Parts: sequence; structure tokens; C-alpha cells
Amino acid sequence: MSGLRRERWGIQTRRRVAHAATYGTLLMATAVMLFPVAWMLTVSVRPNVEVMKIPPQWIPTIFTLSPYGQVLGSSRYLRTFVNSYFIAGTVTLFSLFIGALAAYALARFRFRGQRTVIMFLIITQMFPLVLLCIPYFRVVVRIGLYDTLTALIVVYTTFTLPFCILMLRAYFAEIPREMEEAAMVDGCSRLGAIVRTLLPMSFPALVGSGLYTFLLAWNEFLFAVVLIESWEKRVITVAIYSLLAEFVTEWNMMMAFSVLASAPLVVAFIFLQRYVVRGMTVGAIK
Amino acid sequence: MSPLSTLRHRYRHELQAYAFLGPALCLLLVLMIYPLGQVVRMSFYDITVRTETWAGLGNYAELLGNPLFWQILWQTVLFTVGSVVMHLVIGLGLALLLHTKINVRIRNLFRGLLIVPWLFAPTVAGMIWVLMLNPFGILNGFLTTIGLLDPNQTINWLGNPQTSLLAVTVVNIWRAFPFFMVMLLAGLQAIPEDVYEAGDIDGTTPLQKFWYITIPALRGVILTIVLLDSIWTFRAFDLVYVMTGGGPVDSSQVLPTSIYFDAFQKLKFGYASAEAIAMLLILLVFSVAYVRRAVKA
Repeated sequence: MSGLRRERWGIQTRRRVAHAATYGTLLMATAVMLFPVAWMLTVSVRPNVEVMKIPPQWIPTIFTLSPYGQVLGSSRYLRTFVNSYFIAGTVTLFSLFIGALAAYALARFRFRGQRTVIMFLIITQMFPLVLLCIPYFRVVVRIGLYDTLTALIVVYTTFTLPFCILMLRAYFAEIPREMEEAAMVDGCSRLGAIVRTLLPMSFPALVGSGLYTFLLAWNEFLFAVVLIESWEKRVITVAIYSLLAEFVTEWNMMMAFSVLASAPLVVAFIFLQRYVVRGMTVGAIK
Repeated sequence: MSPLSTLRHRYRHELQAYAFLGPALCLLLVLMIYPLGQVVRMSFYDITVRTETWAGLGNYAELLGNPLFWQILWQTVLFTVGSVVMHLVIGLGLALLLHTKINVRIRNLFRGLLIVPWLFAPTVAGMIWVLMLNPFGILNGFLTTIGLLDPNQTINWLGNPQTSLLAVTVVNIWRAFPFFMVMLLAGLQAIPEDVYEAGDIDGTTPLQKFWYITIPALRGVILTIVLLDSIWTFRAFDLVYVMTGGGPVDSSQVLPTSIYFDAFQKLKFGYASAEAIAMLLILLVFSVAYVRRAVKA
């Protein structure tokens, strides 16, 4: 009897220790991985003299929001945020719309060339963008789109499209086609049936791939450097790099800029992470 | 039925499918395939701002004869292999931790927090780390505090040819491990519980379970993400460009940044095109492997 009880005790204690160890390790790992983020945050709210110090000043002694004021008070910097929102938003809409049409064809029809199209999409996803950079630059200059947001929107839509199509296709394929067929029997056109049944049911996939598209467009840097010249047309990633190159010492302001540039996406992802995770892993786990 | 309508009937599916695919395929053909053709063409020419002269294989000969190209290629391989291996190690470790029997809400909280580095633009991540790796930055500050470093002899991580490549690799590891974590966690969650229960009955140890059940079950996911990540890392431009610009003295130069500098700073468009084609050929090996897996699935 007592031996059995002791045995059970032992198992429970061991389980509890294992549990505590798991939590402990996770906490440690998270602390290490998020330290750069925390450091960015603390530097963004302290005066610049406290940034570069040995031994380091871990916690700011003076709290100030003036770095944020510096960024938000400058129309030049605000402009880059407007540009980034505009570009990423437009690209997301285009990419989802064109992508959903193509994904529908791949998920619902059996047709000649289907395998080739799918392979083509996967291959284009692998393309090194720096390779496209050289001809794009020459073409964009020639057709007079150099230094315009239009050029960036077209380019970003192109390279987010393959991903959108493949992700939406995987999701559409899981939705039974009887849903649309029923709507079509009730007198809907094919497009009407898509809009009324398939799209609402694929809402999670649309949110997931939409967010990822937005992220890619928001974070892109190479083409924004190559195709844009003037400050009024710059996007945030290029603005950040310009800050790094021009104001090497204004660390608090640069970190405030980084926080403002990253916060919207981080917040959106934390709330919508299940959609994105679902979208990332659909098709890949088999 | 008229011949035209039979034809239309026979290819009904094709017509409908390509109508839906039309906009996407047009965009991709015009903006990916045409430029690719251009790069191939340019790689056979000597190009200046005004003139283009046929150079045959001249650019390729110059490329392969340039010791710097081989050095940069080797650095790109180190950067890629180091990143991918560490992504896998860290990602798998964290996925296994998250997959233990912990509270679901807490698991989601940790997963959400640990995804954060992946959301940063490489430029932003680069800037945060330039700040931290500064000779008077927090990393050196921490190392002197715990007594590993003499305060008068701080290390310039990004300005030293011996540490610059390592530094950018570490930052790249930090930025992209969450992708592996998320994918591997999903892979772990897809393993049916009864496989492990069968293992319990046979009296396997946890290590045996990991080696003989978990790893084989994850094999497919691991292969997929390793291929994807190799491709992504091999072609990554932003981080290196922002952090070191490939320097000092090309010690952290990788192929994408080198192509960029050759084209847009040295204005050697032909040579840079040949370099880009060389890079594409290397990437193609990984891409074909990936496509074969993806199409099978």
C-alpha cells in the first residue's frame, strides 16, 4: 500500500519537476529571444546619452517620449508611413483578388497544363529578387515609372502572387465543391457562387495570406532602394536605412522609428496568429 | 454541332481555367520570365550606360577567374548553412518544448511571443543589432559586466573582418528561427497520439521515441522547410546590406549584395548579370528538389 502511494507520489513530483523545467526553459528562451525587442523599446524612451555606455545602463533613469515626437513631428517621416501603408494595402488587395481567381482555377478545374502552371508558380516563388532587379531598373526607367509608387506596387504584386495563389488553392481544395454547385443550381452564376459561398468560407485563408502579403510588401527593401529616389516616395524600410546612414548617433530616434514601423504588424499578428499559422502550414504538413 | 462549338466543348475546362488564371499568368510572364530572358541576354554583353557590345562568354570567364567571386560564394554558403542548421536546432528545440503537456493558452502565448522576431523587417532587425553590436553597445557592455571582456578592449563585431560574417549570421538566425518553430510545432501536433502509446507498451525510452518516432514523422516537414530556408537565405539581401554593406573589405559580402554592388555601384551590368545567372543556377538545384517534393504532395 504505502509503496504504491510512494510510487504515485514519485511520479507526480517527477511530473511537476518536468513541468517546472519546461516552463523555466521556455521563459529563459523567450527572454533571450525577445531581449533585442526589449532593448529597442527601452532605447526608444531614453535620452541619447544613455544609450552607448560601458558598463551599460540597463534601465533608463530618465523617461522621455521625445524620440517619438521627433519622428511623428516630421512630415518627411510621416510621409514614409503613409507610403508604406498605401503600397502594402494596395498590393494586398490586388494580390488577393488576382490570386483568388487563379487559385480557384487550380482548385476546381482539371485541365491540360495544370501541373506545369503549379510548377511554374513554385519556381517563381524561388526566384532571387536581386536577379530581377537589374532588368527591372532598366525597364522602369525606360517606361518612365522610375521613382513612382506604381512601379513598386506592380513589382510587389508580382512576387507576392505565387505565394497567395498556392496558399489559397490549398485552402479552396479543402472546401467541398457541392457548396458552389448548390448555389449554382439555385440560379447563381459561377462568379456569384464563388462570392457567396467559397469566399466567406475561406475567410481564414484570405486573412492569413492577406496578412502575409502585407508583411512582405511592408518589409521589402531591395526594390524600394533600386526603384525609388526622392524622399517623398520613400517607404519605411528605406527611411530606416537612411537614418542609419545619415544620423549615426541618434539611436533613440531610430529605435522609436523602428517601434512605430514594427508595432502595427506585431499587434496584427498576435491577434490573428491562428489564421497565419493555419495558412503557413496548410499543404506543408503531409 | 459546328466544328467550332465541338472544339469549344472539348476544351471547355481549359478555356474556363485559363480565363481565371489569365491575369495572374500574364503578370508573372511579363514580370518574371521576360526579365529573366533579359538577364540571360545581358550576361553575354559588355554594358555601359550608352553602349552594349557582344562579349560572348567574357563575363563568365571574368567571373570564374575572379578569386573574389569564389570567396563570396564560400561566404554565402557559410551564411546559409550556418543559418539553416541553427534555425533547425533552435526551431525544433522550441517546438518540442511547446508541444509538451502545457496549458493551451500558455502555449499560444509563448508561440505568439516567439514569432515576434520573424515579423521584423530585415532592415529593422539589422538596425536593432547594429545598435547592440556597436563597440559601446549592449553586447560588449554585458560581456564586460560579467568579466569576459576588458572594458578598454571592446570588440567591434561588425567592423572586424574576423567577426562580421559571424555577426550577420547570428542576426539572421535570430530573425528567422520562428518559421521553423511554427512549422515543426504543427508537424508535431499532426503525429497521432497512439503511435507514442504503442511505443509506451513496447517500453521505449523518451530518447528512443524522439529518434525512432518523432524524427521520422517530421522528416517530410523538415526536408520542406530546410529546402525553403536554404533558398530564402541564399538569396537574402537586406540584412547584410543594411548591417555591413558586405564589409569590411568584403569579409561579409554574400552573392546578392555583391550582385547589387557590381550592378548599381560599379555599373558593370553585364558582369553582374553573369553573377546573377550563376546564383540562379545554384538556386535551381534546391528549387528543383523543392518542386519535386511540392508537386508530389
